[in-house]
Amino acid sequence: MLKRSVIENILTAALEQGADFGEIYIEQTEKNTISMVNSKVETALSGKDKGVGIRLFYANQAIYVYTNDLEEKNLIQTAKTAALAMKGNGKENVLDFTNPSKTNYNPIQKMPETISKKEKITLMKSTSEAAFSYSSLISQTRLGYQDIVQEVLIANTRGVWAEDKRVRTRMTVESIASSQTEKQSGYFGPGASMGFELFDKIDMQAVAKDASRMAVTMLKADLCPSKKMSVVIENGFGGVIFHEACGHGLEATAVARNASVFAGKLGQKIASGIVTAIDDGTIKNAWGSANIDDEGTPTRKNLLIENGILKSYLIDTLNGQKMGMASTGSARRESYRYAPTSRMTNTYIAPGTTKPEDIIADTEYGLYAKHMGGGSVDPATGVFNFAVLEGYMIRNGKIAEPVRGATLIGKGNEILMRIDKVGTNLKSAQGMCGSISGAVPTNVGQPMIRVSEITVGGRG
Amino acid sequence: MQREAFQKELLQRALKEGFTDCEIYYEATKTFEVLVLEGEISQYETSSQIGICFRGVYQNKMGYAYATALEEDTVNYCLHQAKENAKIIEEAEKEMIFEGSSFYPEMDNYNPALEKLSPKEKMAAAKAMEQGALQEYDQVSIDYCVLRTMEKTIAIANSKGLSLFHRKNGIAASVSTIAQQNGDVKTGSEDWRSNDWSAFSPKEIGRRAGQKAVSHLGAYSLESGEYKVLLENHVAAELLAVFAGVFYGENVQKGFSLLKGKLKEKIASSKVTLKDDGLLEKATGSVPFDSEGVAVRNKVLIENGRLESFLYNLKSAAKDHTTSTGNGFKGSYKDTVKTRCTNLYIQPGGKTPRTLMAQLGEGLLITDITGLHAGANAISGDFSLSAEGFWIERGQIVRSVEQITIGGNFYTMLKSIEEVGNDLKFIAPGANGTMGAPMLMIKRLSVAGI
Repeated sequence: MLKRSVIENILTAALEQGADFGEIYIEQTEKNTISMVNSKVETALSGKDKGVGIRLFYANQAIYVYTNDLEEKNLIQTAKTAALAMKGNGKENVLDFTNPSKTNYNPIQKMPETISKKEKITLMKSTSEAAFSYSSLISQTRLGYQDIVQEVLIANTRGVWAEDKRVRTRMTVESIASSQTEKQSGYFGPGASMGFELFDKIDMQAVAKDASRMAVTMLKADLCPSKKMSVVIENGFGGVIFHEACGHGLEATAVARNASVFAGKLGQKIASGIVTAIDDGTIKNAWGSANIDDEGTPTRKNLLIENGILKSYLIDTLNGQKMGMASTGSARRESYRYAPTSRMTNTYIAPGTTKPEDIIADTEYGLYAKHMGGGSVDPATGVFNFAVLEGYMIRNGKIAEPVRGATLIGKGNEILMRIDKVGTNLKSAQGMCGSISGAVPTNVGQPMIRVSEITVGGRG
Repeated sequence: MQREAFQKELLQRALKEGFTDCEIYYEATKTFEVLVLEGEISQYETSSQIGICFRGVYQNKMGYAYATALEEDTVNYCLHQAKENAKIIEEAEKEMIFEGSSFYPEMDNYNPALEKLSPKEKMAAAKAMEQGALQEYDQVSIDYCVLRTMEKTIAIANSKGLSLFHRKNGIAASVSTIAQQNGDVKTGSEDWRSNDWSAFSPKEIGRRAGQKAVSHLGAYSLESGEYKVLLENHVAAELLAVFAGVFYGENVQKGFSLLKGKLKEKIASSKVTLKDDGLLEKATGSVPFDSEGVAVRNKVLIENGRLESFLYNLKSAAKDHTTSTGNGFKGSYKDTVKTRCTNLYIQPGGKTPRTLMAQLGEGLLITDITGLHAGANAISGDFSLSAEGFWIERGQIVRSVEQITIGGNFYTMLKSIEEVGNDLKFIAPGANGTMGAPMLMIKRLSVAGI
């Protein structure tokens, strides 16, 4: 994307004031999005974004500059401006790059640009029609399609020269069911590090019908009661609870500045003994997978919690330096507009030994959260909240009436200890995770779990 | 290529290649950001970037493409992609290229003094923010402390002869603190935005962030039930931000707003007057023209509880046989034109927060809500949000409250606003624009706690 000699000149200019470390990140991203409302294409947008980010470390202080004016003259000037912000006595100036060997975890079969827009909208239409066909109560549908091809090149003064091409495809479906006075929606958004072959593997019509089923069920649902109760959280997007309640608190971004409830707890018991949790950036074609992280470090499988004991954080170079720990291949960023920091990739709770039907049968009274919506957490306090998109009451060991409007709140460290059942049916789902280095694609996942007690906020 | 030369080349080529009308939206941004931790600069960031979005009418339909490099390749890329994208558009309503408003408001959103500030001065101010947070309370540490300045230029040029240019700059300061006492942890944050450096008191912003975190220490939950509630100004504004879309003509037309058919009806308490004013002085959402080039103005959406109008862009206005309200905005050059507010705010009343607390007597004061992106349904109006605040008895704060959710429905809540305070506050702009509200007294909200 840039000539090696240009990259060397930029890094040399950046190190003029004695920085300890210099890095250049070059990115070119092409993106196509199509949005469809009620089976009609509403907008179609294509774009190409190309830019460069330069990062310098002076001990634990970081400087980041970025621009999309890629003239060599401007880039050198940008690097010099960055260097001027501080003075250091670093002597490192290794421009002896090695290209680390890497595995391709994301083989692509049908590159997005080889598929016509017409073919893309044909698929969207049949998906939308399937959503409408589920029930006459479905009044509207909203669909989104996107494909992204992101090419990155990362070079640094510790000898890294790494390249990656990330191809991602996703379709989101929202079905809206209406009565005289109410509107409720159902939503799914499957995606993968794949090209258009994603849709050979996923039956979008079935996904659309499921979204409609959710909307219709919730339209007829009662308001969820407000109180503390046992909550059974289904697999798939249910994993968002671990992502929010624990995952963010394990990111070195929070741990390094002691702004996490899990700081200083390595080797200690932080979860119930039946909980094992993993972050794995190498799962074949998974939404959050990549061959290298955004500092050029190869991605890997990180065991975070093993049988309740905290084993590892998610670490990037800068925070690792502050913590005296090595990178875990977890540095990510949305684009060249962000300095990288530690983030999750594909995170999940490992399967346990209890059959899902036994978990339900064992629950006398509680909430069954079949599909979760999004949530958020304050890593410093561990306080989180999640929306339940599709919920049911559990009475006498059986799934009973549907309920809507439920929110789960609590503190991550407390909830982890209260997981008293882990099912066998591991499944993942896709999301976009927002944090200080932007929005990055992440998988959340888990088998069915039960939490002995959570505060459920509803309106009933 | 320079901007003017690039624009000329792209517009001319587009007309030659079959586009009947076309436009280039140009955006240039410069930012400076410094993060301070423990008296040291922990991160320092600067950026400069440009982006363009081409859109043009091809075979009677609007096609879009964006790019970042002003070069020959970009011209080819934009023309090719915009054509391909136009071909698949099916919506009956047509987007259009605008010939221009007859009058544009004068607006000075650019403060040259801000450009002259040195990085050193900005770093010193950021350090002062941190000191402000730390000096008053022993229990407080810093979560993050950041000072940002930015400059943004927008230019629109089209084949109908319209050529508009606007530049604005600003400062955004934000401190988030952590207070710890006997194993209890609380966070508090304070933001400040303006482009007037002389009005900036960094220490005071830090102090308030520290004070907020400390004031919440010792909190515990509340018994579940229905309570009379005061929403602090920024909390009311955050709620408004989530549901602002229900006032968009395009959402009403597509059935995504329950306000369909309610024009001129009473939809809120008579205490409520809601305006979208893009001309408001010193407000972050003020701008002379929208992303379609339509002049921005002041609109009354709800007057004393009665729904008076919706917000329109050119396309949604044409569908309702009315004129654009100057609310056709795009988030950035990477987006298509949608509807967005400028400065949407609930008009303040006469009572101070203190008076409202006295009037509340016993009840809940909500100071923070989280989970808006998941716990609020913009279509049904239902919300259930994690919240924090204070329990009030005899008009005084008795203790702090945590681990609760507040639940309700936006449409119902509009009708149950009993009082509107005098402390209008605008919050940081989001996807629906800049939002403002004073403190609100709500007759009843459902609270889940113990």
